[in-house]
Amino acid sequence: MRILERFRADIERRQLRDLDPVLFLVTLALVICGLVVIYSATRSLPGVPHPHYYVQRQAQWAVLGLLAGIAVLGYDYRALQKWTYVLYIGTVAVLAAVMVLGFSAAGAERWLALGPVRLQPSEFAKVSIILTLAAYLDRKQDLSRLSSLIGPLLHVAPPMVLIALQPDIGTALVFAAITLGMLYFAGAQPKHLFLLILAGVGAIVLAGYLTLQGYVPLLKDYQVRRLAVFLDPYADPTGDGWNVIQSMIAIGSGGFFGKGLFGGSQTQLNFVPARHTDFIFSVIGEEFGFLGATFILFLFALLIWRLLRVTVLAKDRYGMLIAGGITSMFFFHILVNVGMTLGVMPITGITLPFLSQGGSSLMANLICIGIASNIVMRRRKIHF
Amino acid sequence: MNRFSKLAVQRRIAALFVAVSVLTLLLLLRLAYLQLWHGDRFLDMALAQRFSPVPLLPDRGTIYDRNMVPLATSISAEAVYAVPVEVEDPVRTAHELAPLLDVDADWLLSRLEQNVRTVWLRLKVDPETARAVRARALPGIYITERPQRFYPHGKLAANVLGFAGIDNQGLEGLEAYYENVLKGTEGMLVRERDATGRSIPDGLERRIEPTDGLDIVLTVDHVIQYIVERELERGVLESQAEMGIFVAVDPKTGDILAMATYPSFDPNHFSDYPPELWKNRAVTDQFEPGSTFKVITGSVALEVGAATLASTYVDPVRLERWGGVVNCWRAGGHGEQTFVEALENSCNPVFAVMSADEIGPARFYEYIRAFGFGGRLGIDFPGEGTGLVPRPTPNPSLQWANVGFGQGIAVTPLQMAMAVAAIANGGTLYKPRLVKEIRTKDGDIVEARAPEIIRQVLSRQTAQEFISAMRSVVANGSGTRADVPGYRVAGKTGTAQIPEHGRYIDLNMATFVGFAPADDPAIVGVVMLYKVHAQPSWGGTWAAPVFGRVVEEALEYMGIPRRYETPEPVPKEKVVIPNIRNLPAEEAEERLAAAGLKVAHEGYGSYALDVIPVPGTVVDKGTTVLLVFHEEELPEPTIVTVPDVTGLSMRDAAFALQEKGLRIRIQGTGVATSQFPAPGERTPSGSVVEVQFSSPGTSAP
Repeated sequence: MRILERFRADIERRQLRDLDPVLFLVTLALVICGLVVIYSATRSLPGVPHPHYYVQRQAQWAVLGLLAGIAVLGYDYRALQKWTYVLYIGTVAVLAAVMVLGFSAAGAERWLALGPVRLQPSEFAKVSIILTLAAYLDRKQDLSRLSSLIGPLLHVAPPMVLIALQPDIGTALVFAAITLGMLYFAGAQPKHLFLLILAGVGAIVLAGYLTLQGYVPLLKDYQVRRLAVFLDPYADPTGDGWNVIQSMIAIGSGGFFGKGLFGGSQTQLNFVPARHTDFIFSVIGEEFGFLGATFILFLFALLIWRLLRVTVLAKDRYGMLIAGGITSMFFFHILVNVGMTLGVMPITGITLPFLSQGGSSLMANLICIGIASNIVMRRRKIHF
Repeated sequence: MNRFSKLAVQRRIAALFVAVSVLTLLLLLRLAYLQLWHGDRFLDMALAQRFSPVPLLPDRGTIYDRNMVPLATSISAEAVYAVPVEVEDPVRTAHELAPLLDVDADWLLSRLEQNVRTVWLRLKVDPETARAVRARALPGIYITERPQRFYPHGKLAANVLGFAGIDNQGLEGLEAYYENVLKGTEGMLVRERDATGRSIPDGLERRIEPTDGLDIVLTVDHVIQYIVERELERGVLESQAEMGIFVAVDPKTGDILAMATYPSFDPNHFSDYPPELWKNRAVTDQFEPGSTFKVITGSVALEVGAATLASTYVDPVRLERWGGVVNCWRAGGHGEQTFVEALENSCNPVFAVMSADEIGPARFYEYIRAFGFGGRLGIDFPGEGTGLVPRPTPNPSLQWANVGFGQGIAVTPLQMAMAVAAIANGGTLYKPRLVKEIRTKDGDIVEARAPEIIRQVLSRQTAQEFISAMRSVVANGSGTRADVPGYRVAGKTGTAQIPEHGRYIDLNMATFVGFAPADDPAIVGVVMLYKVHAQPSWGGTWAAPVFGRVVEEALEYMGIPRRYETPEPVPKEKVVIPNIRNLPAEEAEERLAAAGLKVAHEGYGSYALDVIPVPGTVVDKGTTVLLVFHEEELPEPTIVTVPDVTGLSMRDAAFALQEKGLRIRIQGTGVATSQFPAPGERTPSGSVVEVQFSSPGTSAP
């Protein structure tokens, strides 16, 4: 009860009026759509204990996530700045712990067990790196020179490298996207950012080349294959190209109106792999057609718009940078994931926010919405 | 300090908003491209994935002989296959199944672990195996029926039939030529399946029945084919030839009654035999015909008026003309002879002059082509050979002199048979055919083929005259061993030299062409025994008797009555033919005469090479025997021990004796049951061992 009282004390009525209802409703709509689609995608999944198994877990995480997001509203985001060091060191420590103690799933160590709950620390690391990088850039005002980018890059490097070593290249790329976005909002010169992107792409190509030629095994075999398959999925239609081709067949065969809920033959008959996680968008495309897929893209466009609005309205540089980081993160996730299911982006294994099944991801995303709401709620300078 | 202004931030946010909008629009366009523009295509792909059809195989058409006796049929054989995703314990399954199917367990395991929907484990399993596999009821292991080709008569007509492979597709012979007629149309069973290949319990299912292939009815008679194959084998083994061919034709229709190559193969186990044995050489291969080609030269000479049956010729023995030399094979020559005698004597210079000078290359070339040589006759069989006819020279030439007696020209056995058939039937060249009817399984006739005439080559008059000359060759000349009492065989022998790499080799082809009965021919035959190792390697010695034995039995089977030109001779006193080998010619003749035998001569020389029938044979007193001369004295034969051949097959017995330098004389068919001389006896090399064969289960007389 005391907590609730403190919560009410910290939030003034006027601040509550400044909350963004559109942002809240869009998020809620996406979470509900996610639950429906996850149920359809997992009710006939081989190996599930019962048809509601995944949707129940996802619903539990959604409730927890919503509560966490609302809880975040209670603390003025500026207070977080004091915790920067603790947050940063804690994040790096937990990621290092995953390397040592983590569970592996699908060939990568990503999981950490907390009692009965398995958490994916890299999902939360994204939030924490947005917060700490924002604090760092808040202090470092001048980014006009190329050399001034070294500091921020060194800040992001340790957690990013740890995640890349799990190996989780997809999430590491999300870190890169967040960093680029935040540097852009912080005032770095666009030509310098382009240079960074070029250097990054060049490094990946070089690593792929060195691995393929057998000099240095910098990338895993499957990573090189995924890149090759992105260039031509039909090069290996029953192996690595299978996912992309099946996803495109599922989406393409959905047509304009879709095949109806539970009516997606490719989904229900297990043709689309990872359909409840990374390839959830192909389920939407097949069962709800062009109409349903466009509606989801419309919800995402609304989400990004409202997040950019938060960035504009933030009353200080710290808030603006946090909101910018969150926007960059979501947009990168959406673009790469949807692009992958449509066969125009490589398979990187990153999720579709709010829709993909997965508790840690949903929780972290809802906390991000909470933080953004926190920022927009406290946008006015209050004069006593 | 360049502080980043609030305004600048807002400009950047606006720029980012534009970028986000454009990228979202691009995703939307891609979505529309996949779902609206290509939606139907992806829908088809989705359907194809779920409804991958299982083929339902049709029954392949049956191949019947002319009397509706099946020569190639479809039987259903059981086959074992696996659906790998349904196999619960691949290692255990592999170990349990391997001994049943008689395959390697590791190999089986690798099949069971393949990432495919279905995989064949063993085709053609016998019923007990199938029952044992069913009894195990291993998950994911299934048995299905697959139609399988079966040739109930084994090797019979193998080179004509060819064979169909393991997937029931015609690969050789008629099976390949009539593939589209025989194969039928595949049906399919379409059943909805999920990604792992399991069929969906309530899924859609549709069955399209297969259409069975059509049956074909051959012109071949399986009884005549059997006689031909048996006698051809005997002829090849007795003459120690490397290969033999026989073609039997009905001269009045062009129907192929039998067509055989020896050695042959069993189409039920075709892969156990070398591919060169699969060929139907009677159709595909070409040979220099040698003296048998004189029937073409002679008949054309009559047709164009260059000769009459009464024309007389003086054998020049050694004819130097056209810038070369043509020798008579008989040292000393044949002296003065009529047209008919020249054919009986097979006198080369006479036919050389006939071809090069009297008919002339240009005119002869037209007739040779008219007889069907140098081109395809259009038989319904794959890979028909054309043979080779040289272009006519403007003036008489040595090349065309040689053509007159069958050298420097190549023909297929089929062409030879059809040309002789044209003489036999009164001058008409028929198109050879193997199939006379195509019908459905229910017996409805889809296509009935009538005999097809290609052209009239000779006038009826010429043909009749020339037939009488050919009859004389058998009655009085070199073809005497082809004659059958009462069936009036007409024909021509040939001992063709074999060109290899531009020159003639030491081995010959013994050949005979002919027909019977001469006054109303019912069957025409061509015999070729290729690379005869026995001496002498003459056509009259080896090929003529094969023809005679075939024709005798075939005509009896066809129900053609014997008609004797003279009253049937009363039984006579029997005599044994004395051994005259290596004796001086005069002494040999005296001994034969003393034994009460009449003597005909083959060849010329100071020493007797052999007598036919061979010494020791019991014949009627007064029988004409053929005394064969050799110019050189043969080396003193070594004495060899006769091996035991009882229990061996005809082929093995022949080879066992050949190894010892002995020749075989075959009686009966089947497995060797007795022999004379007996095993262990010592006899000069080159002697003949008479071996009695009988079918297993029947005892020798």
